[in-house]
Amino acid sequence: MARVDLHALTKTWDKATAVAGIDLSIDDGEFVAILGPSGCGKSTTLFLLAGVYLPSSGDILFDGTRVNEVEARHRNVGIVFQSYALYPNMSVLQNILFPTRFQKTPDAERRAREMGELVQITELLDRRPSELSGGQQQRVALARALIKRPNLLLLDEPLSNLDATLRLTMRAEIRRLTRDLGVTTILVTHDQLEATTMADRVVCMNAGRIEQVGTAEDLYMRPETTFVAGFIGSPPINLIPLPTPGVDAQGQTQPQTLGLRPEMLHAGESGLPLQIDHVEVMGRETLYSGTGPNGALRFLEPTAQPRWSMGDRVHLDFAPADSILFDAAGRRLPDATARRTE
Amino acid sequence: MMKPSRLSLDALLFLGPAVVLMLAFFVAPIVVNILVSFSDMSQTVRLDGFPTTAQYNKLGKLDPDAFLGFELRGSFYRALALTATFVFLTLFIFNVSFALILALTTTAIPERMGAVFRAIWLLPRMSPSVVYALLWLWVVDSSERGLLNQVWLLFASEPINLRLDHPMLVIVVANGLIGASLGMIIFTSAIRSIPEHLFHAARADGAGPLSIVRHVVLPALRWPISYITIYQALALLVSFEYIFLIMGPARSTMTMAMLSYTRTLAPQVGGGQYAYGAAIAMILIVIGIVVALAMWRLANMKALLQKPRIEVNG
Repeated sequence: MARVDLHALTKTWDKATAVAGIDLSIDDGEFVAILGPSGCGKSTTLFLLAGVYLPSSGDILFDGTRVNEVEARHRNVGIVFQSYALYPNMSVLQNILFPTRFQKTPDAERRAREMGELVQITELLDRRPSELSGGQQQRVALARALIKRPNLLLLDEPLSNLDATLRLTMRAEIRRLTRDLGVTTILVTHDQLEATTMADRVVCMNAGRIEQVGTAEDLYMRPETTFVAGFIGSPPINLIPLPTPGVDAQGQTQPQTLGLRPEMLHAGESGLPLQIDHVEVMGRETLYSGTGPNGALRFLEPTAQPRWSMGDRVHLDFAPADSILFDAAGRRLPDATARRTE
Repeated sequence: MMKPSRLSLDALLFLGPAVVLMLAFFVAPIVVNILVSFSDMSQTVRLDGFPTTAQYNKLGKLDPDAFLGFELRGSFYRALALTATFVFLTLFIFNVSFALILALTTTAIPERMGAVFRAIWLLPRMSPSVVYALLWLWVVDSSERGLLNQVWLLFASEPINLRLDHPMLVIVVANGLIGASLGMIIFTSAIRSIPEHLFHAARADGAGPLSIVRHVVLPALRWPISYITIYQALALLVSFEYIFLIMGPARSTMTMAMLSYTRTLAPQVGGGQYAYGAAIAMILIVIGIVVALAMWRLANMKALLQKPRIEVNG
């Protein structure tokens, strides 16, 4: 197991910058999720850690040792790919055994069978990957990644090809496995639920940079930027532009954007006016969307039966403590809260 | 439920053109060849003496004491042996192994550089056969002007005459270097279609470059290698163009295809024996079919065939 440190890590392709000088430290045995939209550089970061790509600049350290030039095969890293990347010509057992060909592993087959047991695929060991379902392939890929007891386990969107129910099961199983083995794990995903439910800490990336590192609660309740605020949370946060000057008479930075989570808004007699133009019943909750003088807004009510209908006019109230305020650059103003009159 | 007449019409429209082409260009020539081979057809181009086994008697004779019940005539036996040597060496050294090495190396280097190298290897295919043969004649020229001899004489005192001393080497290398480009293209395309994640996974699993070739690339090339082996074996069996252009009607490189050609369509070297040529061609066709079926079976090519994706309601 390893502690991982990234210092000013950069990867450029011709003129495009995929990873723009990121700094990150991951503790031994920690489970970290790198979350971000497509093209934000999260998979590139993962491949840099794996040794598949070489950094353009910056450093990668495993347990304090620089591994920039160390080849992938000598890094002792296990990877589970989005496509699982199982060798189609080999049986499940041969797939799991494959990494042991390249390192002296006493009793490799016994260990492979143990790994098969651990990920619950004992009865599939003689099959070919093409004869397995997505979930089964995923388990095989996990067993293959873990058999050599890697310093670091890298998971590249491992659940994105699974159906919703299986995803739920596998989330828990992967978390259980990594916790039991105590392996340092980095999960790359664009699914915020996956990141927030599995990881000890979440790294939110955008355009090659780290926007914020924190717990799921930090990112949801105290987003550092409007990007994090907008990316984390479903339904997404309401970001309302404020008609205030950037700096007040005393030279203090004034908030430019008001962030309000849909569940923090309550329909009542006073507050932000809104005409409802869409109602979505979401099982135990109902989501309302509409437009008003402040632009498009969404609010969520914890009732399965809609209280309001399309065309209804409501006023949305909120507790000032629930508001999040951002400056002109989109950075959160930590100590500011909105006044309802604004 | 579709009417049977409509079904027949659909089948006819769908398969008709292909069936007509196959009959006209594959089946009919074989039938004509069989008829001619059992005649005495010569420069008069008449089906004289049909049916007669005279042409086959020139190739061999029945002998109850022989292993297979017949004995081959000397020239035909020699042609058969030369053909087997030529096909085997060209196929395995160049058309498969060298093509594979070219594909592996040109896909391992940066894409643009790889494309340039592949284009260079394709140049002989794009140039006229005569130009390619002329270049070879210059390369293996027995005088001091020959390209090979210019290099050879830097280390030795006497020039070498490859066409005389090592004729098989000349035709194998000349055919092989041009033939390798087809395999190179097919194998390159197959290597490019291997998902990149498999390479990444193998590297992370600890595999080095040779292990990746062995465990990831070669298994993915099983079908292309089988295909190229069968296709090129059949092509080499009937290939004579470069042999004739470089070696002429030399006995040392008189393969079956060369024998058939020189006996029929090369008047200055004893051509015009159409029936005899047809009998040799007939043996080539039978060998071709046997080789193709054997390789098809050995390589389990049937597994490559997929069910049609268009459903027809019966």
